Amino acid sequence: MRRVVFLSAGLLAMTAVVWADPPPDAAPGQPDLTGVWFIVHSPHALKTVDGSLPPLTSSARQVYEQHLSEAKRGDRGAFDGTTRCLPPGLPRLMVEKQPFEILQRPKVIYFISQDNRLPRRAYLNDKLPDDPDPLWLGYSVAHWDGRTLVVDSSGFNDETVLDDAGLPHSEELHLTERYTLASDGKHLSAEFTIQDPKDYTRPWTAKAEYVRRPGYEIPAEICMDNPAKRKAARRATEESVK
Amino acid sequence: MAAGPAAPDGVASGATAAHGAPHGAPGQTGTARPRFTPPPVRTLFNSGDPTLALTPPLLGARSAPPGSAPPNPDPHDLEGVWQVQGYQYLLGPEPGVPPPLKDKYIKILERRIRAKNRGTPEADTETQCLGHGMPRVMESPYPIEIVQTPGRITFLHEVAHEIRRIYLNRPHPKHPRITFNGDSVGHWEGDTLVVDTIAIDPRSFIDDEGSSHSAQEHVIERYKKIDGGAEIALTITVEDPVTLKHPYSYKRILHWRPDIRPQEYVCEENNRNAPVNGVTVAK
Repeated sequence: MRRVVFLSAGLLAMTAVVWADPPPDAAPGQPDLTGVWFIVHSPHALKTVDGSLPPLTSSARQVYEQHLSEAKRGDRGAFDGTTRCLPPGLPRLMVEKQPFEILQRPKVIYFISQDNRLPRRAYLNDKLPDDPDPLWLGYSVAHWDGRTLVVDSSGFNDETVLDDAGLPHSEELHLTERYTLASDGKHLSAEFTIQDPKDYTRPWTAKAEYVRRPGYEIPAEICMDNPAKRKAARRATEESVK
Repeated sequence: MAAGPAAPDGVASGATAAHGAPHGAPGQTGTARPRFTPPPVRTLFNSGDPTLALTPPLLGARSAPPGSAPPNPDPHDLEGVWQVQGYQYLLGPEPGVPPPLKDKYIKILERRIRAKNRGTPEADTETQCLGHGMPRVMESPYPIEIVQTPGRITFLHEVAHEIRRIYLNRPHPKHPRITFNGDSVGHWEGDTLVVDTIAIDPRSFIDDEGSSHSAQEHVIERYKKIDGGAEIALTITVEDPVTLKHPYSYKRILHWRPDIRPQEYVCEENNRNAPVNGVTVAK
C-alpha cells in the first residue's frame, strides 16, 4: 500500500505536463449533455402522457396480463430476462433508478448505464439499417432538432419488455427519444414515443425527467456479481443443456 | 486422478514400491537399490508435456482496409476504434512465455492449463460474465473504442460490454473499491498517455491461460501514437509482490480501425458458458 501512496504523490507532481483538453463536446450554441443523469421518478409501469394505460392491441393485452400474473406469483423470470442479467431493453433501460451517463461527441452520443455497464451508441446524422439483425438494445441514430436531441432506434429483438411491469413489444418496435436540456443546464426532460403496430393500436408517448449529478462517478456494476442472478443464470444453463 | 502421463516424482515411485514393484528381489537390502534420481522438473517453460500445451495465439487485427478514414495524427487525441494486433493467451514478457510467476502460482497455472486441455476448463471470471480484469481485458481481440471528454478517457470494449474509466490528472482514491478492471488514473507525459491501475479484483486473471494476480497487482500502461496515428504503441507493465517474482513489461500494437463500429456483445446471453459444478459446460 505504501508504494501506491508514493506513486500517487508522483502522479500529482507530474500533472504539470502538457495536457490539451479535447475539442469541446458541443458545437457553439448546442446543449452539452455530457454528465451523469438520475431519473427523478422511476416508473414501475409506463403510462401515456395523459396517464393512461398504453393502447395495447388485444393480443398484446393478453401477453401483458400474463406478465402481470407471472410477476404476481413470483415468476418474473418467465418474461423478465434481467432476473438473469439479460439487458432490460428500451426504453426500460432509460427509466431505471440507476443513473446513466452521456458522453457527447461530435459524431456519436454515448449513453452508458450504471446498470451492468450497458452502452448505447447513437450515431449523429446517420440512417438506421434497412434489414438489421435484431439486438437487445437495437440500433440508434441521432440528430439535433434545435436544442433537442432526437434519438431514433429500431432493430430490436422481442425478448425484452418496455417497463418493469412487463409491457410487451414486437420486433417492429420503433422508439423515438427526445431529450431537451432545461435552461439551467441541470434538468433534462425526455419523451419516449413508441411505434409498434403489432402490439399497439397507435403510437404513444411517455415522459421522464432527469437531474444532472455533477461529480458522481459511476461505479463498475457487474450484474453477474450477484449470487441470486448467477443462480438464475445457472438454472437457465442447466435447462438449456438438458 | 487425471488421465495423462503419471508424474514420475518421489511420491509416485514410493507408492509403486508399496505395491510390489521390482525395486529389488525379496531378501535384498536397500543398499543394492540404484540411487533414485529425480527427473528434471518439467514446467510450461521447457516441457514437451502435451498436458501443458498452450493455446496457440491468434493472428489478430490488421490495419484498416484501403479507403478507410485517414488516421488522426494529433498525439493527444486517441479517440476512435482500435484493435489489438495479435492475441496471446499467455501475457508474459514475450509471446508464449508466462509471466514471472512465483513457483506456487506456476503450479496453479499448470493446473488450469491441464484442466483446459482435458476439456474441462476451470470456470474463470470471463466465462461467468463477471469481468476480464487487467491486463487481460486489453488483450481481447474485439475492438476497443476510446472516447475523450474533459478530465476523462473512457475505454468501451466490445467484449462483454466491458468499460474502463480513466480519470486524468488526479491520484487514486485513498481506499479505492476493488473492481474487475481496477481503479485507473492517467496523465500525459509529452505525447504518451500513462495509465496507472490498482485495486483489481483478484478473482480475475492476468491472462486467458490463468496466470494469477493478487489485490496488490499494479498495472502501468503507456500509450503513444506512431505511424501518423495509424497505430498506438502500448507498453504494459505488471507488478504484483504476491504472485510475481519481479515486475515485467510487454508491448502491443493497436491498429486504428475507423471502418469498425463496435457491436452489441451480450455475454449474459450465452448461458452455456456459465459454470455448472465449477466447470464450463459448453465444449
